[in-house]
Amino acid sequence: MPALETSPAIHRTIVSDRREPAPGIVVLGLHAPELARATLPGQFVMVVPPGGERAATALGLYEAEGERVSLLLVVVGPRTRELAALPVGAPLDLLGPLGNGFDLAALGADVALVAGGVGLASLLLPAQALRAAGVRTTLYYGARTAAALIDLDAFAAAGAELVLATDDGTRGHAGYVSEALRAAGREHSGIAACGPSPMLRAVARVAGETGVRAQLSLEETFACGVGACWGCVVPLARESAQAPNFPPVAAGETRDYVHARICKEGPVFWAHELRW
Amino acid sequence: MNGVARKVPSLDVSLGSLHLQLPTLMGSGCYGSGEEYAPFVDYAGIGGVVLKSVTRLPRLGNPTPRLSPTPSGMLNAIGLQNPGIDAYLAHDVAKFADRPCAVIGSVAGFSVEDYAEVTARLAARDEIDAIEINISCPNVGHEGETFACDPRLAERATAAARGATAKPLIVKLSPNVTDITEIARRVEAAGADALAVINTVRGMAIDVDRVEPRLGNASGGLSGPAIRPIAVLAVWEVARSVKIPIVGQGGIETARDALEFFLAGASAVSIGTGNFTDPRAPQNVTAGVRDYLAARGHAALREIVGLANAAFAGAR
Repeated sequence: MPALETSPAIHRTIVSDRREPAPGIVVLGLHAPELARATLPGQFVMVVPPGGERAATALGLYEAEGERVSLLLVVVGPRTRELAALPVGAPLDLLGPLGNGFDLAALGADVALVAGGVGLASLLLPAQALRAAGVRTTLYYGARTAAALIDLDAFAAAGAELVLATDDGTRGHAGYVSEALRAAGREHSGIAACGPSPMLRAVARVAGETGVRAQLSLEETFACGVGACWGCVVPLARESAQAPNFPPVAAGETRDYVHARICKEGPVFWAHELRW
Repeated sequence: MNGVARKVPSLDVSLGSLHLQLPTLMGSGCYGSGEEYAPFVDYAGIGGVVLKSVTRLPRLGNPTPRLSPTPSGMLNAIGLQNPGIDAYLAHDVAKFADRPCAVIGSVAGFSVEDYAEVTARLAARDEIDAIEINISCPNVGHEGETFACDPRLAERATAAARGATAKPLIVKLSPNVTDITEIARRVEAAGADALAVINTVRGMAIDVDRVEPRLGNASGGLSGPAIRPIAVLAVWEVARSVKIPIVGQGGIETARDALEFFLAGASAVSIGTGNFTDPRAPQNVTAGVRDYLAARGHAALREIVGLANAAFAGAR
């Protein structure tokens, strides 16, 4: 993805609203005017832990409109539990917006958005931006069970057709969302996907089989989130436009990839350029 | 107010001939090339940045995953990914020039000759104010830590770097040794100007569902608040063993954390993982230390370096 001209900063935000669309899933609205203006589809923030003593948590920016942004949290451990419990009015400090988002213009006129679980968080802004650009979108959305499929109305309002999948078959296709995508064959001109690594690998396979190019927003544990620690790397083809010139090719080096930082060069990469 | 204008306590510190306006360094490997934190930090509010370690040859680094969060800390095994000294001098050194803080180059090596050559070439650059040699990376196979774990090799690596530059030389020690004080004494004798105490503590986490280590390198280095007590003790013991200044590091996030290190005998502190929790940690440390000194009537940070250590010795 082309490097974005953004100016990240530390933002002091206040929790403005809070809702729980499903048990264990919380949407945290934040008063953050500057961040709302600066955010581009697919970017993320690092959330400074209110209690200290933990690394910051990386979260996709779910909504950004007016003076408000929101974060979509799935409570899986102590860090997300701490954030999900924040009451309206509580301060929350964020670093962002970070990373390079989706290159939506490169995906054509009929885009498949593919979300697995909390990966949904990174796809609402792209859906809205694509609608504004007159692009047709279909959301392929998979979750564990019907109750965990959230905010379908928000995507419908953004003009997306919905194709759903659940692991337990309680709604939509029974099985993986990548299987529903495979059934669409070459119907779409491009794919933008975010979700757990196994799902993204499956989407990459579908993209390879059908020849439809896919942009994947990778999930990984970040330490710094700003490109300083080189902890969140992924093997990326040397010839990728996103490949860092770091390190240069050493004498006798036979590997055809470099380690690119997911937080800095990514988090969105072309599936066909990953060597994972 | 009693009408008496109280002087703001001074926080400047000297590590050999390296003069720092503030006693806070940003730990090597945690601050990249320095520039990555530019949007979030006022560099006038920190003492200096220790750049990411550079080796003689380029290194692709370890396989993934390279990070694993642990209680009050994290494991990492980056494996010294870096462009090698040639490309580093050509492209990277200049990236972090003209900042209002000290810039300290970090050198890692696999032989005594590596330390001499890379130190000489890096220290020759005007952008570099001082050199830290990393003889204690736990994540590049046994060879990486050999220099920190063998007193004779630690001495030889230090002597090699000392012979290669007249700029201030800091040597970063490993906690993964039987007696850190013996290594500290040998490194001091070989000409180091200061000691960085400590590097990460070796550790491992296993994913019991996948039945495999959580790190691609299997083992890694533990950092964060979890290792702070280990680091404080190491500083305490090294301070009793050498005369050169110590840069204390290991899990520092707040002023009170940093004060433990100063009172144990550190002249300066280094913040690494703490920046990941909050990039404002260094400025919070500085402000809190200043308040502590003022409240206790100290005119300078220097007055409390080793104070708990000396008091404890005196009471015995």
